[in-house]
Amino acid sequence: MDRRQFLGRPVSAGLALGGAAALQQAPSAYGQRSDLPPKFTPSAYTVPKSPNSAGLTPDYFTYADNLVIERNQPGKPHQGKVLAAVQAHSDDITLFCAGTVAKLIDEGYTGYLIRLSNDEKAGKTVGYGVVQNEIDNREAAKALGCKKAFSFYYRNHRMDDCAAIEIRQRLIFLFRLLQVNTVFLMDPSDHYDENPDHLVVGREVEAACWMAGTGGGREYPEQLKAGLKPANVREKYYHARAPQGHNLVNRIVDISSYIDQKVRANVANKGKGPAGDNGARLRQSLAKQGKKLPLLGNDDDTANFQYVKHFIMDDFRTLGAQFGLEYAEAFRYIGPEPEHRQIVNKYVEEHAVPL
Amino acid sequence: MHRRSFPMPGLAGAAPQVNGGEPIVVKDEPGMPHRGKVFAAVHAHLDDIPYYAAGLCAKLMSEGYTGYILRTSNDERCGGRSTAENILSNEQDHFRMAAALGFKDVFDFYYQNHDMDGISYIDLRGRLILIFRMLQVDTILSFNPWGHAEENPDHWVTGRAVEEACWMAGMPNDFHEHLEAGIQPHTVGERYYFYAREGQPYNRVVDIGSHVEKKIDAIVECKSQGDGNRGSIVRAQLARQGKRLPLLGNDDRAADRAYVRQFLLEDDREHGKPHNLEFAERFYYIDRRPAKSKADEYIEKNAVNL
Repeated sequence: MDRRQFLGRPVSAGLALGGAAALQQAPSAYGQRSDLPPKFTPSAYTVPKSPNSAGLTPDYFTYADNLVIERNQPGKPHQGKVLAAVQAHSDDITLFCAGTVAKLIDEGYTGYLIRLSNDEKAGKTVGYGVVQNEIDNREAAKALGCKKAFSFYYRNHRMDDCAAIEIRQRLIFLFRLLQVNTVFLMDPSDHYDENPDHLVVGREVEAACWMAGTGGGREYPEQLKAGLKPANVREKYYHARAPQGHNLVNRIVDISSYIDQKVRANVANKGKGPAGDNGARLRQSLAKQGKKLPLLGNDDDTANFQYVKHFIMDDFRTLGAQFGLEYAEAFRYIGPEPEHRQIVNKYVEEHAVPL
Repeated sequence: MHRRSFPMPGLAGAAPQVNGGEPIVVKDEPGMPHRGKVFAAVHAHLDDIPYYAAGLCAKLMSEGYTGYILRTSNDERCGGRSTAENILSNEQDHFRMAAALGFKDVFDFYYQNHDMDGISYIDLRGRLILIFRMLQVDTILSFNPWGHAEENPDHWVTGRAVEEACWMAGMPNDFHEHLEAGIQPHTVGERYYFYAREGQPYNRVVDIGSHVEKKIDAIVECKSQGDGNRGSIVRAQLARQGKRLPLLGNDDRAADRAYVRQFLLEDDREHGKPHNLEFAERFYYIDRRPAKSKADEYIEKNAVNL
């Protein structure tokens, strides 16, 4: 990881922007001090790392002053709604926002996991890599409670060579087919993301969201003739990619109740990423040396689960602690915008007088 | 489209022929032998189908086919008005032309006219695949993507995408999300490629004698381009000079039809002459319908009970 160190302050619990100045002399998680003169108010905050960090939270977040902590909701308030979690690679959603996806599905959403690349760069050969990651995508979807997983199989790490408009066409088709209301995507405005697949996917998801519903279907009208209906995507959860990320956060989601589900989704990711069966491999490696880690238990399944929870999820525990939560995920959330026509209608209702 | 000037001298005999040197002459078939079948006529510009294949379209529909027409460009460069006005007038002409020929539905993709070699080719192909599957298209009419002397990029881009979409539409792993929507893979078996430029190959000569009135119906709707209203324009010009052409009749509609019949069907007349036909259209026909393999025949003949 090539970390940048232009600001070196931690985010403290209960942080508000107005309290930033009070933090200016506090040491960061790395023990750094800031040389920022007191007359400046920081505009970005170092995200602290635990000693176990797998580097899954960005170096910096910029927090909005209307930040909301999204907590568990009783019952099934989202019954009838549909979410699409769209990722470039099989481990993007699982690592960065699986807790929130699992939470929303538990609260009534029907979920779909959509992977756009073929993940061919992860595996002992290209062929083995694509097969394992295809399986992983399906298994991660199951672990999250998704109804179905889709894969588009664009070539891994080469998506900036794809026709963006064709990707968008396919996303519009799926959003309409599935009648998606809410999407999860990697923020295409997330600074310093080095992976072209992330940027392409984020950009095209963002565009497909409004085009899937615009103008009663002037985009790809043949899809409507095929029986599809315009989609009404009104909520978007943008997540950052770590560690390069430096993005705006206005929503922290309490995923404490869903951390085990997030762990299981990551254990399902065996073809790539830091999770998968690394626990079992570590356990076997230690056994060859005549050692064991009590944390990893007595079988491979336990080892995988414990490894992921202890070592990989620690970044989300550390992030949660900043907000008084056990585990958390951070998002730039964009919610439903008011319908301008309804505003006008309401005004007319209230102010119209007889001729 | 970018057509040759009209009227043209005949080109019969100038182009290479295939199938042992002699094209097959296709005549009207009695009854409705194609009932239940679907064809898609895919062109780039308002006046492509009317000139190259309106007779065949009318013939196929009269023999039972259901026809759909698809225009890939927005025709913004043709019409003699502003770019925006050209898009509108060509769009409306296209609807009227399609109705005149009896197409069941019209699709317009509106890619930028003359610039289609700069679009995302795979986006075009994906859209064609969806439509071929959705309509379960059996037969297509379009440009020959391998036809020489084609100087209009919209033509060869459209032809190439159509050719590829025909077989990819049958492959379930291409755009597999279509299957989720209940839209099944479907291979397009028969193709009629236009004879659009001098020197392009053809192996079918279709007798359109009994469908030429329909063809005229289609061409006269091509007012933004294709000279469909040339007759009424000439009639008005002459009237301003205190003259008239008896050929053009007494109203604009009659003038347009007469003008087309007299001056704009020369190619079809010339294509018919070698075969003693009044009017004919030329095509390069490809049959890709699956045939029973030798293995299938062998298994069928020789398989015995266990």
